[in-house]
Amino acid sequence: MAPRPYWKGYLKLSLVTCPVAMTPATSESEKVRFHTLNKETGNRVISQYVDSITGKRVKEENEAKGYARGENDYVILTDDDLDAVALDTVKTIDIGTFVPAESIEWVYLEKPHYLMPDDPVGQEAFAVIRDAMAADKVVGVSKLVVGRRERAVVLEPRGEGIVLWTLRFGNEVRPEESYFEDIDEKSDPELAPLVQQLIKQKTKTWSPTMVSDPIQESLLAIIEQKRKALRPKRATKGKKDETPPASNVVNIMDALRKSVEANLKSRREQRR
Amino acid sequence: MAAYRAQWKGFLKFGEVSFGVALYTASSTSERIAFNTINKATGNRVNRIFVDSETDDPVPREAQTKGFEIENGQYIMIDPEEVAATIPESNKTLEVDAFIPCAEVDDVYFDKPYYLTPDRIGADAFTALRDGMKKAKVAAIARTVLFRRIRTVLVQPHGKGLIATTLNFDYEVRSSAKAFEEMPKIKIKGEMLDLAKHIIGTKKGKFNPAEFEDRYELAVAELVKAKIEGRALPKKKPVKVSEPKDLLKALRESAGMLGGGTDKPKRAAANANAGLGREKASRVSPKSATAATPRRKAS
Repeated sequence: MAPRPYWKGYLKLSLVTCPVAMTPATSESEKVRFHTLNKETGNRVISQYVDSITGKRVKEENEAKGYARGENDYVILTDDDLDAVALDTVKTIDIGTFVPAESIEWVYLEKPHYLMPDDPVGQEAFAVIRDAMAADKVVGVSKLVVGRRERAVVLEPRGEGIVLWTLRFGNEVRPEESYFEDIDEKSDPELAPLVQQLIKQKTKTWSPTMVSDPIQESLLAIIEQKRKALRPKRATKGKKDETPPASNVVNIMDALRKSVEANLKSRREQRR
Repeated sequence: MAAYRAQWKGFLKFGEVSFGVALYTASSTSERIAFNTINKATGNRVNRIFVDSETDDPVPREAQTKGFEIENGQYIMIDPEEVAATIPESNKTLEVDAFIPCAEVDDVYFDKPYYLTPDRIGADAFTALRDGMKKAKVAAIARTVLFRRIRTVLVQPHGKGLIATTLNFDYEVRSSAKAFEEMPKIKIKGEMLDLAKHIIGTKKGKFNPAEFEDRYELAVAELVKAKIEGRALPKKKPVKVSEPKDLLKALRESAGMLGGGTDKPKRAAANANAGLGREKASRVSPKSATAATPRRKAS
């Protein structure tokens, strides 16, 4: 299921403007996540706000964002206020500059997002911007407010859509010189043929199996063991269920994945 | 500058060659503007406490443990030690499993970059590997226990050194093919494409991400000032979307006003003027085409 877009706004090139939606390309939603439980009761532990002066619980509707004006003096800002901040980059990605596709150093790439038209009316305008970038082998540079920061972003045509990268700030990337200064520029030419041979032998095609997470599998196995222990014993005890056939392991893994998914779905629905 | 401490020290192994290496964080996260959570009813700041979701009683840290939700509201308790036991003992070796052609690298998997450097004895093997990868245009895939997980890193030559980028796990990444699969297949050709390419041509420039500045905090400070003084916050102008029937016109107008003296495609003077009148922000002459790039730091 496609995740709900987490940002909606406009993509703009000169006088061409189209409504777009953006979703992060990565998500932690499939990760096995643990909650904090109360050992004594087995219930969830949740966090709760209390007033720092009166010590009383704070109702959710009374929680607000405060901008510190002085000591213990805050100006309350609503989401609508923040939306009114005087930057066009809150709602519009105006592509001001284009640079050659490979010219952005990838240490600056922070987080990838998928950008697509948000309304049929904008599909063609979106395609014009995308296809012209692809034809020219350039990427677009713009800026966008994401997570309370105005970030430089790079737009790169990919397939039918556009990948939007937020970029790290200059002070977030450490200068490489101080790390690499002692390394020789040249390598031993005698080693080169062997290295080439080795590289050739070990060259494979990329596959997502290269980024599997064995620890997540182990965690799922532990969870399944405990889940079984929870179940009431059936009457047909002592037949074969003590040693399940080894070939079942894979199916159990599949079943577990499904149950994690189902569980996530129900959590999502709860949250709504 | 102060020397940073290595995040990880171990070995890099390709084939039977193994040498000492260190990983240094190449990126950090700088602070974004912080707001305090305030109790609207009193104007005071709030503190956070942890309570039992059913009994509402505060739960001290020593009574907290980990749990996994299996069905709605039903949890399996898991001792943090059991979780720790799933992490295999580290052999401190980044072993190269494969080399993959650079063209195949899907950067959407990129997590965090680390500078990878050799120790003194490993320098020859390091440079041989670096230059070999450069020549073959490949990146190396290596795995090891890093930060309490078995992580895959992508090792790529970068100047005199190597950069190891941790990769996101398969289940954390949605492929672009999947994300875009429901989009209609539209291919733009002919005049529209030419006009758009022309517009892009007038906006080609240089960009150095290191010089970009975040204006958000300043803008929020302005907003707060306006609010304190009781000024009305500026209303956002509605954005005019280019409808399919107006798209060609919008492209022509853009190309017309941007074209200046250079190879302008058939432009009608009337259209160009209309464009200028309608959109002040896009009034960019060829000379100042890069003015639309983010502000430069005053140095």
